[in-house]
Amino acid sequence: MIRSLSVLTSGLWLMLVVASTAQAAPQTFNTALPVAQGEFVFRQQFFHLTAGDGELNPADRDVDVRGGVSVLGYGVNGNFVLFGVVPYLNKRLEITTPGGDRITRRTNGIGDARLFGRYTVYRDDARGRTFRIAPFGGVETPTGDNEDRDSLGVLPPTLQRGSGSWDPFGGVIVTYQKLAYQLDVATSYKINTEANEFEFGDEARLDASFQYRIWPRKIDSGVPGFLYAVIESNLIHRGNNAIGGLADHDSGGTTLYIAPGLQYVTKRWVVEGIVQLPAVQSLNGMALEDHFTVRAGFRINF
Amino acid sequence: MKLFFSRFWLTLAFLAVLMATSFSVVAVHAEAPSGPVYALQIDGLACPFCAFGIEKQLKKIEGVVSTSVDIKDGVVTVVMERDATLDEAAAKKAVEAAGFTLRGFERKEAGE
Repeated sequence: MIRSLSVLTSGLWLMLVVASTAQAAPQTFNTALPVAQGEFVFRQQFFHLTAGDGELNPADRDVDVRGGVSVLGYGVNGNFVLFGVVPYLNKRLEITTPGGDRITRRTNGIGDARLFGRYTVYRDDARGRTFRIAPFGGVETPTGDNEDRDSLGVLPPTLQRGSGSWDPFGGVIVTYQKLAYQLDVATSYKINTEANEFEFGDEARLDASFQYRIWPRKIDSGVPGFLYAVIESNLIHRGNNAIGGLADHDSGGTTLYIAPGLQYVTKRWVVEGIVQLPAVQSLNGMALEDHFTVRAGFRINF
Repeated sequence: MKLFFSRFWLTLAFLAVLMATSFSVVAVHAEAPSGPVYALQIDGLACPFCAFGIEKQLKKIEGVVSTSVDIKDGVVTVVMERDATLDEAAAKKAVEAAGFTLRGFERKEAGE
């Protein structure tokens, strides 16, 4: 039973959160910029994601996920920052059963929270520019419900809000920032572990972001707000999920997202928005295809 | 969905209150009696959001009345209380705690 339900929804575990930065920086991943010692940075991002099947799958799955991601960053010192990330998810799946019925299944609530630290190991500062390298590492905790059910029974693992497992992850971020622009590149790996005889495939990422100041063109005195045009890319590879130790060949694959956006940055707050579009999707079997993800939110220093 | 949007508007209202509060804090600082003025050259400062952390760290130093950032030149001006002085080591420690580098430290003469 678990297997058949999972096949119907394979690949449903999409790129929901992971936008865990809390500085003025990329919108789909982190940065190496600092959080001052003893200070907090809060970020709230709202998102809307849609995905579905290609024409060949008779299940004709239609997925809609809305929610928010709250991030709190705390500066332990000028180099070390602790982050907590809590997603709120509202997930809906429409699917045609083998019997021909069109059914809807949904869940909503807190998802799996992430805790991680980031340490700046290299810093080269000069007037009006900085270059930093910062490894990070942490764990995704099983705070999201992984046994939620509806009138049809327990939801399949890929539709649950949580994985039920403790999943470590780590990576490194490189940031080069000048007054006119900022470039961030990050690579990371997440090891997903088993829970309830189900294991999501591991995830490897290569992310890049370029932010170019389009206003003001010329900086006068003080600290004016900066309006940035943003272009980001996310290359994400996921391995096959495993059910009872057996690989699900209709899950995982590689996707390249391209994401244009805008960001307005002041000394105290940031407002931003971005649209992630799948430019290339090389997916395994009948894994679900992304349509788009819209993200918008704000960050505040306090 | 309704809950989602009501939270969104609540958050916006919270932001508005926060911004209004920050303006009044600046006004209080401006009214305090002032003494020596220092110009700190900060390296690595390249965006408005990072400037806030530097100012907060510097304001923790005893005797600091106000700070102002000129992001183009990477200079933070620190105004001290009358009869107070700013120690370079303390300034360097504060800038490091914010995650940046103190490159220059200069006491400005009156009228400069």
